[in-house]
Amino acid sequence: MNQLLEILEDINPDNDYLAETKLIDRGLLDSLSLLTLVSEMEDAFDVEITPTDLIPANFNSAVAMWSMIQRLQAENK
Amino acid sequence: MQYNSLLYLLVFLPVVLLLYQLLPQRHRWKILLGASYVFFFLLSRKLIVYLLLSTVCMHYIGLWLERCDRVLAGQKDAQNYHALKTAADRKRRRILWLGILWQLGTLLLLKYFNFFSHNADALLAKLSLPAFLPTLKMAVPVGISFFTLQAISYMVDVYKKKMPTDENLGRLALYMAFFPAIMEGPICRYGETAMSLYEGKPLTYQNMSFGIQRMIWGLFKKVVLADRLSPLVVLIFTKYTQYSGVTVLLGAICYTLQLYADFSGCIDISIGAAEMFGVRLPENFRQPFFSRTASEFWRRWHITLGAWFKDYIFYPLSLTKGIKRLGKKARLKFGRHIGPVVQTIIPLLAVWLSNGVWHGAGWNYIFFGLYYFVLILTGNLLEPLLAKTYTTLHVNRNGVFLRVVQTLKMAVIIVTGELFFNAHGLKAGFLMLRSIFTNFSLTVFRDGSLLQLGLSAKDFAVVFIGCLIMLAVSIIHEKGVHIRQSVAQWHTVPRWCFYYAAILLVLIFGAYGSGYTPVDPLYANF
Repeated sequence: MNQLLEILEDINPDNDYLAETKLIDRGLLDSLSLLTLVSEMEDAFDVEITPTDLIPANFNSAVAMWSMIQRLQAENK
Repeated sequence: MQYNSLLYLLVFLPVVLLLYQLLPQRHRWKILLGASYVFFFLLSRKLIVYLLLSTVCMHYIGLWLERCDRVLAGQKDAQNYHALKTAADRKRRRILWLGILWQLGTLLLLKYFNFFSHNADALLAKLSLPAFLPTLKMAVPVGISFFTLQAISYMVDVYKKKMPTDENLGRLALYMAFFPAIMEGPICRYGETAMSLYEGKPLTYQNMSFGIQRMIWGLFKKVVLADRLSPLVVLIFTKYTQYSGVTVLLGAICYTLQLYADFSGCIDISIGAAEMFGVRLPENFRQPFFSRTASEFWRRWHITLGAWFKDYIFYPLSLTKGIKRLGKKARLKFGRHIGPVVQTIIPLLAVWLSNGVWHGAGWNYIFFGLYYFVLILTGNLLEPLLAKTYTTLHVNRNGVFLRVVQTLKMAVIIVTGELFFNAHGLKAGFLMLRSIFTNFSLTVFRDGSLLQLGLSAKDFAVVFIGCLIMLAVSIIHEKGVHIRQSVAQWHTVPRWCFYYAAILLVLIFGAYGSGYTPVDPLYANF
């Protein structure tokens, strides 16, 4: 989780990722940031994020992103 | 029967509201569905078959996808589960593509076949080859560009398991055909609107009051502003060669205002009508002329179309393996800003080509799409450079000066885009643009020819005051004030004076009756 938070802070340090639960719904992560985030998450956690995973529910908060990463890692095993 | 017609406002809508309220809650959706099909039939007659086929197609695709999931779930304990899952995923993808091809195929055939055949035959003629593609006589059902996108979003969302399949064909049919939104949108998502349509909430004073107010505001924009500007716009865009550059520029500015007042006005009427039934339709406009960049403009103008393209074209394409690989290479080579921008080039191109083509079968629409593609891509590429420049020059990015400059820049960009959008062909668009720079003369304001463009001095005065009212309302909305909620808290006398004044404003200054030609909603043609 800390590694994910570091990635998020690196992309846009203006958001409070521990508290915010509507990162996508409120437009706090734009499309370019989102694409950068997906790429960095794939490299850091060895997962493949497909268009099916790209829904607001998976990216609205750091917790939701971490749950998605864990699910994708479990599916890879 | 248009949304601004007396038949719709004084007969159709009140009858539907009455029947809706009289029926028990569980049957109310049937009234909405019946009314929607009657409305569609009155507009498109036998072409209603396309809407029915589209609905049945998406219904069965949803059921088929669900059956695949059920079968796979029953095999969870099988030893070869991973192989079964891979096969099921492949099958689900094929089912989805079948549905998309059906929906898009119908749209492409009805709206774009003749455009394709004309251009293919013209190309063959240039190569001295015989033309062989026929011109088909096909009528296009109203709203097909809108309900096709709604059908595709439902199927994709079910495929993505964003929501379960809806086995209720009636509920799906209502989502597709809901009469306030069938002509011009807003483009709804199943997950956001279908349940509230089906719920059959009772009519309430607040919903009725807020809905009527929203409709009056929409009527003001449509009937007082947009329809009044129509004769001038039609004249200048049809006979642009006879006018000076200033007149052409005036025509482009007036068309931009007309399109906004017409489209957003009709959307207000749609949202207001839905609100009376307790249904919240998505917003389609958010003060677009306050935008500071092209991408911001498209987040404020025709919001539901932009969001659709982002969710169903931009992101899926950006996350394909090839594009992701390209993005990674670009990030290594060009850094963390330019890299992602490079990754978006192909998806952005696809989005803006689709946007242009969606609006109509014509090269000027394709140019319109590519125009915004270039503007947005350039804006993304130059962003770090701009940020650095502002920092070096100590310019406050949120300061009033920069905000005004950027808004004016966007006004020029928007008017230029709309000039091509409404021009009678791409060549006409370029000729009109050229005449603004080469045939610039202010005599139109001195020799009285301004009043020979289809608008009298009174018309110009009404348009000017109407635009000021629209600007004032936009500023209030931009500040986050909800006008209807504020007015609802006023004392009874001033509140009702306000309501009556709004109605009288539309009745007195509306461009309807003798001397005016009724103007169909502009976006119903797209």
